[in-house]
Amino acid sequence: MAKYAITGALAAVSGSYKTVLDVFATSGALRRGKVFDVLIGTNGTPADNYLQWDISRMTADGTGTAVTPNPLDPADVAALATAKNNYSAEPTITANSSLFNVGVNQRASYRWVAAPGSELLFPATAGNGLALRTLSGGYTGSATGGFMYEEQ
Amino acid sequence: MRRPGGYACSAEPDGRRQECDTFTCAHCNRITHVGPGQRPEDIGGLCKVCMGLICPACVGQVCVPFLKKLDWMEARARFRREI
Repeated sequence: MAKYAITGALAAVSGSYKTVLDVFATSGALRRGKVFDVLIGTNGTPADNYLQWDISRMTADGTGTAVTPNPLDPADVAALATAKNNYSAEPTITANSSLFNVGVNQRASYRWVAAPGSELLFPATAGNGLALRTLSGGYTGSATGGFMYEEQ
Repeated sequence: MRRPGGYACSAEPDGRRQECDTFTCAHCNRITHVGPGQRPEDIGGLCKVCMGLICPACVGQVCVPFLKKLDWMEARARFRREI
C-alpha cells in the first residue's frame, strides 16, 4: 500500500468552482485510493478575500495538466492513479457529492489530516476520483492545493 | 473529542492558529468539523448498526457503510465492462 504526494495549482480563480487538483483511477490497472492529507492555500498578491474550497467526487476526466504522483517512499513503484491540475475543461463532478467544504481567507492556509481508517476514499473504477475545487467572489489569482493519498 | 477521525488546522492572517478535530462519516465519507464544546446531536450521531460516527445528513437514514457502497460502485463498473 504505497503512499504518494501530489501538488497542484489553479492559475485563475473565478466565481464558479474550478478544479485545482484531482486524483482518479485510470483505466487498465485499477486501485482504490485513500486521500489522507489535504493542504490548501493561495500564492497570489495578498488581500482579504474568501475562497470556498470543496472536495467532490468525479466520474470522468476533463482537460487538465498532468501531475506525477511522488511516492513518499522512494522504493515504491509508480502510482497507478492519474493526477491532474489547473483544469481548463472541468471533470464530470457528481452532484451533491461534496465531502469537504470550507471557506478560507485568502491570506490563510488550511490543512486536514485523517486518522488511519478515516480517509476520503475513491473506488477502483476508471475515471472515478476526488476533485479539489475552489471559487472566490473577489480573488482572481492563483490557488494551490496538495493531496497525500494511498493506493490500496 | 475522543478518538477523532482527523484533525484540521488553519493558519489565520492575524497569526492565530485555529485547530479542530474532525470525523469522517461512516455512511457517506463526508468530513465533519467538531468545534470545542459542540453537542454530539448537532454534529450528527452514532450509527448503532455499524457503530460509526455519521454526519447530520445521514442521521435517520438506513445504515449502508461507505465501504459497502464502494464495493457496489466497483461491482457496477465491472458489470458494465463485461456486457
